Amino acid sequence: MTNEQATRRYFMIFVPSMIAYAAGLLSTQWGAVHMGLQPTALYALAAVPIAAILSIFWAHWRFIKEIDEFLRMIQIKAILFAMSCVMVAASGWGTLEILADAPKFKVFWLLPMFWVSFAASAVFLTKRDGGGFR
Amino acid sequence: MKNKLKALRAERNWSQAELGAKLDVSRQSVNAIEAGRYDPSLPLAFKIARLFQQSIEDIFEYEPHLDGMV
Repeated sequence: MTNEQATRRYFMIFVPSMIAYAAGLLSTQWGAVHMGLQPTALYALAAVPIAAILSIFWAHWRFIKEIDEFLRMIQIKAILFAMSCVMVAASGWGTLEILADAPKFKVFWLLPMFWVSFAASAVFLTKRDGGGFR
Repeated sequence: MKNKLKALRAERNWSQAELGAKLDVSRQSVNAIEAGRYDPSLPLAFKIARLFQQSIEDIFEYEPHLDGMV
């Protein structure tokens, strides 16, 4: 399989999953605020964005297995960097919450933080090690 | 690890993308290997050697003092 085919296969899962994620998130919030849904119904609705997150990670796992070894190394380094950012932020802020009564941090933001740091790291490593995107 | 990949490719007038296509890897991978920023796996090194009909040692030169550099 070529890298282009692997990328196409990744986006064929990524795009619909992101749409499902956004739709699930908005409808759960709408259900809570405007319809006064019970927690059980909200949990059921929230399963949609959770399933979307799972499918995106599965697609990324498959993508990493299908691309060539050099691009795989870049992806794995970027994931390691992103995981480090998330773990430092989560346990660092958690420590501040316990010891210094810092304001509560919504763990919802850990996923966006992961993807932003992953993207920044992947772009940097691709430019540095791979000679750009051409 | 130093290598002669760029010279071998130039002898055949192949672009990095063309060589990448022959090896089933990306242009970025060829670029990184040529620049010495990435050491290929053993299977890929064999593939490169077979493509150019040379031995791995003829193409790649091991430099122990650079081993482990990221």
